[in-house]
This record gives sequence, C-alpha cells and structure tokens, in this order.
Amino acid sequence: MIINHPLLGPRDSEEFVYLGSTDLIDRPTNWEKSAAAEDFHQYQYIRENIAGDIQELWYHEQGDQSWLVVTRSTLTHEISNVELAQDFSRVKGRGK
Amino acid sequence: MSDYELIKESPLGGAEHEFDGVTVAEVIDQSLVMVALPRDRAVDIESAMGESCGLSIPAMGQSTKSSDASVTLWRLQKNQVLAYFSYDGDDAEVNLAERFDAPAYYTDQSDTWGMIRVSGERSRDVLERICPIDLDPSVFTLGSVSRTVMEHIGTIIFRDGDDSYVLLTMRSFSRSMLHAIEVSVKNVL
Repeated sequence: MIINHPLLGPRDSEEFVYLGSTDLIDRPTNWEKSAAAEDFHQYQYIRENIAGDIQELWYHEQGDQSWLVVTRSTLTHEISNVELAQDFSRVKGRGK
Repeated sequence: MSDYELIKESPLGGAEHEFDGVTVAEVIDQSLVMVALPRDRAVDIESAMGESCGLSIPAMGQSTKSSDASVTLWRLQKNQVLAYFSYDGDDAEVNLAERFDAPAYYTDQSDTWGMIRVSGERSRDVLERICPIDLDPSVFTLGSVSRTVMEHIGTIIFRDGDDSYVLLTMRSFSRSMLHAIEVSVKNVL
C-alpha cells in the first residue's frame, strides 16, 4: 500500500505506524463535569464500523515523524486523501 | 586523573571496501548538528544564516550549500534541518552555532550516526536492491535527501555526487547497514 505523503510524495506503508480513527483528536474537555465518564467512555472505546470512507491517523515513524490524516475506504483500501494531522486539528480548533 | 583514557573511534573504524564499479567507505570527516526552527522565528533564522554563511532553508527533501560549500543543510522535517558539515572536532554544536550566528536550537548528533558513502558507476544498481525510494537521477536529483527504511533499518540517504550517495543509520546499526550493502554488492556484481 502506498501513502501519498503531502510533503514527501508517495511512500510505502512500511514506513508508517497506524494509530486509529481521527475520533482520537476530539478528546473531551469536560473532565470535571458529571457527563465526563460517559464522554470519555465514548471517546476511548466506541467507534463506528463504517463500510466506506473513514479518516484515520497514521504516523510517519520511518520518515519525517509527521502525523497524517488518511482517508481510506474500508471496502477497497483505496486512499482518497492524505493531509497533515496538524492542519486537520487546527481547522477543528485543536492544537497550536 | 582517571586510570583510563578514552580513544575516539568512528562507528565502523574507517572501513573502506573497493568492488568492481562500487566503493563503500565510511565517512569520518563530517559532523552532523540538528537545527530546530521555531515557527515564529524561522524567518529570522534564515536571514541570519544567509548573512553569516550564505545559506537558505531548503525545500522538503532538498539541500542547500553555504557559500564556501563547507556546510550542507538537509530538510527532512517541517520544523527542523540537519547541518552536515566538514568538521572532525568534538564540539560540533558550538562550532556550528558560531558559524551560523542564528537564534535556532542546536543539538549535536555527530557521534550518534554512522555514515557510509556508496559511490561509483554501479552505486545505483547496488542501492536499488535495498532502497525503497526512487533513485532515478531525474527524480532523486543531485542534493536530494530522504529518510526511509532499508533492510528494516531507518536510514537517511543523501545524494552528494552524480554517482555518490551517503547513507546514515543510527550508530549501533552501522555494521548491519554495512553488511546489507555488502550483500547487495555481492548480489549485483
């Protein structure tokens, strides 16, 4: 499988480490509220099992050490989009 | 005064092997310093480097040379560059910081990497067996640099001549890397 890195071009997936869904970016911020236990349970364990495009986090460990958001179809493994997780998070108002 | 004296030794003890059309040799006269570029100061750093050494910050996967050609900057990551320069003293970090005179963060990496140069007219034939990067001369142009995996070893590859490539691996992997290259030479030649 080839991942088309936005800065470095096409790279073999052997260079990357897979983390999981981009849901992990949306860590709840209401840890002091009563709803926190349920929210963190959702954040940690509950995932949609989508047949189609999903967004997931990949880490370019054997490369430039960047985190990427890869849009991949679970039906065909076709990768339709790759972007830097840094940019993806900033759009969501996360990170610096 | 201690009873022991430490003797400086390069990772491969200066290994050099000649084959038909390929030379594999350790690089021992270069130092390596990481230069971190804080986002809000990258512009100041670049102009200071430009003034002191005639250097600019290269594009991703590319390199730039100082006006006296002694320092090469490699861009492997978004927010940092590696300086590869002629120096074999023990204080590479101080030496480079003085040469640059730029407000960046410097970290000496010289002794943590083993450097091996693969050169000669058949160097690409040898490397294409172990390197997943496209080394076609029109793609991996002179001065290109990349970090990848060769034989399961994280490796930086830099093209420093028409038929010359420098491979860097973490120091403890140097012998494994040298072995991988030698096996590839035997398979190809």
